[in-house]
Amino acid sequence: MKKNLKLTDFSKGGERQLTEVNINELIPLPPPYDKIEELPEFKRLTDEQRERLVCNLDGVVSYAALPKPKNKKKEKKYVEQFVSGLKKLLSKENNWTFLQPLLLSLDYCAQCQTCNDACPVYLASGKNDLYRPTYRSEIFRRLVNKYAKPGGRLRAKLNKGDIELNWTTITRLYELSYRCNLCRRCAQSCPMGVDNALITRELRKLFSQELGWAPKELHEKGTVLQLEVGSPTGMKPHVAKDNLKFLDEDFTEATGIEISTPWDKEGADVLLMHSAGDIVSFPESPISFSILCNAAGVSWTLSSEIPGYDGVNYGLFYDDVQLAKIAIRHAQIAKKLKVKKIVMGECGHQHKAFMTVADRVFTGDLNIPRESVMTFLENIVFSGKIKFDSSKNDFSVTLHDPCNIVRNLGIVEPQRRILRYLCPQFREMQPHGVDNYCCGGGGGLSVMSDVNFTDWKVHVAGRMKFKQVLDAFSDQSGPEVKKYVCAPCLNCKLQFRDMFSYYGAREKSGIICSGLAELIVNAMVDIKKPFIEWKEY
Amino acid sequence: MSGIVWHIFTFGVIGIFLIVLTYRTLAIIRLPIHLRWELAPIPHEKGKGRYGGSYLEDYEWWNKPQHRSLIAPMIYMAKEILLLRGVWKHYTALWPFTFSLHMGIYLIAGMLFLQVVNAVLLIAQSPLYVLDFSLGIASVFALGGYLLGSLGTIGLLLKRSLDPNLRPFNTISTYVNLLLLGAVFISGGYAWLHSGDFISNMSLFMKSLITFDTGLTVTFPLSLHIVTALLFILYLPLTDMIHFIAKFFTYHSIRWDDKPQDEKMEQELNALLTQPVSWSAPHVKAYGKKSWVDIATAEMRDEKKS
Repeated sequence: MKKNLKLTDFSKGGERQLTEVNINELIPLPPPYDKIEELPEFKRLTDEQRERLVCNLDGVVSYAALPKPKNKKKEKKYVEQFVSGLKKLLSKENNWTFLQPLLLSLDYCAQCQTCNDACPVYLASGKNDLYRPTYRSEIFRRLVNKYAKPGGRLRAKLNKGDIELNWTTITRLYELSYRCNLCRRCAQSCPMGVDNALITRELRKLFSQELGWAPKELHEKGTVLQLEVGSPTGMKPHVAKDNLKFLDEDFTEATGIEISTPWDKEGADVLLMHSAGDIVSFPESPISFSILCNAAGVSWTLSSEIPGYDGVNYGLFYDDVQLAKIAIRHAQIAKKLKVKKIVMGECGHQHKAFMTVADRVFTGDLNIPRESVMTFLENIVFSGKIKFDSSKNDFSVTLHDPCNIVRNLGIVEPQRRILRYLCPQFREMQPHGVDNYCCGGGGGLSVMSDVNFTDWKVHVAGRMKFKQVLDAFSDQSGPEVKKYVCAPCLNCKLQFRDMFSYYGAREKSGIICSGLAELIVNAMVDIKKPFIEWKEY
Repeated sequence: MSGIVWHIFTFGVIGIFLIVLTYRTLAIIRLPIHLRWELAPIPHEKGKGRYGGSYLEDYEWWNKPQHRSLIAPMIYMAKEILLLRGVWKHYTALWPFTFSLHMGIYLIAGMLFLQVVNAVLLIAQSPLYVLDFSLGIASVFALGGYLLGSLGTIGLLLKRSLDPNLRPFNTISTYVNLLLLGAVFISGGYAWLHSGDFISNMSLFMKSLITFDTGLTVTFPLSLHIVTALLFILYLPLTDMIHFIAKFFTYHSIRWDDKPQDEKMEQELNALLTQPVSWSAPHVKAYGKKSWVDIATAEMRDEKKS
């Protein structure tokens, strides 16, 4: 394996793996997670997998279905499709959506490498060259300059550092585009305003919209499934309704407080869009909202129309077409229900996709006001309609800032005001707010688990965040002290769940992760029994 | 070089520079409106920008007036442009070199501006003490600029050539850009040392340009410097060194563009949404026949067919 990767290495070596994740080189974690030999082993590819799959990047495979052409002719066909996609990315008709940001980021990078140390993946990997935000972008930039701009081949020859475009290059680029969380910490640090995360997303978009290559969890079992049956979880409308009904009944029975989640109520003030994954994986989240909305007397509803009961939009991670399809259907549902506003659930990418990115897709009467769950909850908490007792939350709490809510939308303080009010032991991670580290599941990675990708996610992508969590609780690191990571985002929670389970954080450090609404409900005076259960996942 | 050649060469270079720069700037401006892609912190968010907050932190933000600060973005950009705040914060080891180089450029730009002022003062036969004062400041700017610029360029050349963090990303144009910049600073320093009263000679040169006096004479060191600088100015707009223009757009049109859709925007968006698309993946299959609207609002039965 090459230690110091050159850009030109990228197109060489055919099926040979370019580099490898070396566990000993990753940034160290604090005790008791510092003993590598005591942690589960990083799942390496078997010989059979190496034979069957395209695995020429870093020994990790995120998409087992990547085609493996039998001959050069078929390889050439894919390469030609890639070039065609490059040209479309630069055209106004095909890519007006991000043309200006893309061109500025491609044309004006000063190659100063200022962004590298902002990247949690690069840092966590022990500064593996492959994971530099600039490595992927520069390869793409040189390919664009050479194959999609007039006189590009001549200029590439004269300028040295020419990257050859072949089957190896495009398959490695595909995989490498899913080694980034799209967290935009790199963009934030760039003095020029260049956005390597955007370049990565454009690259994913090219593969998806031109070659039809995208992780199955994001496309086939993601956006396609959501548009077909309503949710990437596969949950159909009647199942979603049944689940919520069961949760309502369960809560009513346990507490004596009557709860009923309203569905398809025309003319309600608020259409709340949960992530359906919460209903499946974190049911305490949707029931918390039902409790809070009912207690505060909010006129609200959920929608059972496909895909209105699932606010996720994985199109944000890889494909403008899918992004627009889902966003428009969500808006159409809200229009049909004649609601006054749509409130995002605790889901980061839903916030970004629906509140800002799709804002310029909603023309005419589809442009219905959209609000963050953070301000919605803050309004409920401070409305005076519900009584709280903060001593019920007298355990250590820290807040994870979902990148798509905080860095990308600038919603920083409402959730903090709630936590400062309701959680006496609230403490910040360092850094936090708009300078936070991604959980490691951003950019769609949290739902991807093909072949050995989960191992990469927990070891590399989420490592900086896991370290940050441990550091935040370093004064009480033992399992006897209860610790709560408040992550108001489904994808972040899924990533935390994977990480905590992998490292045994619940047993070794007493840490659990859940949302914001649960903490609010836990502090309600009217609910006598503790709402938060310190159970294992 | 005779006087008339100096005039043609100088004004020709400035003309080409302005034309190419304008063309490239217009090329950026004419790009279509894009989807929102803002990034915190956005300094114009009054009272919130300092911690990265935005108007989306307000309950029912669409019913609230937006308070935008005009000063905060200017302060942010001043720190970014003059002090290179971002590099200082995120790559401190690079900062001394790049700061020297940029400060050198700013001082030389300042000196050039003052030389135009001095030329006007000469033409207007202003009181000598005024001219002397202005020449004095220009002289300090020149000396500081050539020194800092030379140090910064040499430092950056060495850093970029030797540092394994930077070296893999160098191309021929990386070196050409730095060498040309270095040549401008070093030739300037050489002229400052070897052309007698450098600042006065340069202001006389400016005066002769402004008055179209073809009888000007220029010393060899000053000629060498002016020719080098003009060649650099000719080359500059062809390169990514015009990031001083691009940066305006990356910040104001992308990172800080948090403007909700309005009527004017909607007209442009409607036109863009009805354009034909030619992406050809199985879930799109547009082939130039479908528009964005067709694709995004297609019924599920169409998707099942594909």
